[in-house]
Amino acid sequence: MYKMIFHIDVNSAFLSWEAANRIQHGEKHDIREIPCVVGGDSKSRRGIVLAKSIPAKAYNITTGESLFTAKKKCPVLKIVPPDYDLYTRASKALFDMIKTVAPSVQIYSIDECFADFSSIPGIEETYMAIAKNLKDMINNELGFTVNIGISENKLLAKMASDFKKPDRIHTLFPHEIEKKMWPLKAGELFMVGKSTTRKLERMGIMTIGDIAHTDKEILKGYFKKHGETIWRYANGIEDSEVERPAEIKGIGNSTTLPFDVEDYETAHRVLLSLCEMTGMRMRQAKKMGKVFSVSIKNNDFISYSHQQKIFHPTDSTSEIYAIAKKLFDQAWQGEPLRLLGLRISDLCPCENLQLSFFDSDSSERERSLDKAVDQIREKYGLYSITRSSFLESGLKPVSGGVHSDYKMVSSHL
Amino acid sequence: MKIVKIPIEMIAFFSKKGIPHPLKFKISGTGDGPPTIVKINMIIHMETEKTAGNTMYVFRCQSTINDVLKVYEIKYELSTCKWFVYKI
Repeated sequence: MYKMIFHIDVNSAFLSWEAANRIQHGEKHDIREIPCVVGGDSKSRRGIVLAKSIPAKAYNITTGESLFTAKKKCPVLKIVPPDYDLYTRASKALFDMIKTVAPSVQIYSIDECFADFSSIPGIEETYMAIAKNLKDMINNELGFTVNIGISENKLLAKMASDFKKPDRIHTLFPHEIEKKMWPLKAGELFMVGKSTTRKLERMGIMTIGDIAHTDKEILKGYFKKHGETIWRYANGIEDSEVERPAEIKGIGNSTTLPFDVEDYETAHRVLLSLCEMTGMRMRQAKKMGKVFSVSIKNNDFISYSHQQKIFHPTDSTSEIYAIAKKLFDQAWQGEPLRLLGLRISDLCPCENLQLSFFDSDSSERERSLDKAVDQIREKYGLYSITRSSFLESGLKPVSGGVHSDYKMVSSHL
Repeated sequence: MKIVKIPIEMIAFFSKKGIPHPLKFKISGTGDGPPTIVKINMIIHMETEKTAGNTMYVFRCQSTINDVLKVYEIKYELSTCKWFVYKI
């Protein structure tokens, strides 16, 4: 069967949604047409650029840089705070609209998805008209623009939607790879990040075409399995199905602290608030984990982490906290802390739990306590029940994460 | 018409299908001036807007305001239940 996959990606998603929402509420100026960024609150130090307008791009402002340096590059820069409820709503409206025309849709992140049109008869002739209709429908009804990439597999469709922006449709069929994809820089290939790019450059591999023409075994020798993956991607080989639910490999949360933490007591409390969130998510996903990792970023922006594997998987908040605390105490070198993170991996389903001889008597009670707390929070909100140690501490009793409906980007197509 | 975005207090009825029908509204006066009550003489047309996933009903209406016949647009935001004059 002829394969026809679309990748639909919102142009500067957060900024477009902000702009559309503001115009709907009567704002006269379109923030897409002035130098503008969506960024965190610099007072609580979440000050990075999350999305930028095209005029802001002209000032060389990049996503992820601090608001301070962005403001330096462009003194007239307008900064608008993020509104995750708006983004979740806009994203849902977009996917609902795409689902009305596409036979199957895989939501890939909050602002992009894959749609499989292969089952529509005669698609090889009508794909361009369908894409144009869809793009215009989104713009007219929802008020923002998208890029659509079209190809025979998800990888090529995703690469195509990344070509010239905004409001464009691009195709990247296998016969077009040589002309459209191979001249691009190696770093633009999906799954090739900064450090891989550096290593490739040292090997004299500059473009995606160079990767495609390099012997697969050489890449495998340098990068192991990842080498084979990028070689396949550079040659446009990828065959995963649309709508395959991604498997969760790990669950974690981190938080940038509103002030530098310099004592164990406060740091432990922050860890506890992260454990509350992570534990809750583990139980929601019905998973238990064995590998625990605590990551630390200090006020010099130097990051390090420490991890441990335990024999008996757990999802209990207090057990997670005990392990996290131990790891933190072993790792922390006493300098002022800016960010703390916790991640649990090596997950297994919690249905067939192997009981341990060494379980404390209280573990069954802990489990029912966690369950009760989860239910209260689900019904009455995240802060409806909190630990008394957070009273008057100025810290959030549950921290990390953005929004429960928020779809994060993953590295799996 | 100019975009103004002025919040208003509205009296409306809702049809059995759940569609709001605005009847009359109160608009605050400028400075210390008294508020104006505007009776909606005619709804010229109504449409639903879903910009960025936020549903609003948009009504183009006609009223006599201070003895002048005016055409204007009002909006009703479903998520907040707020009314405002959008354009006049």
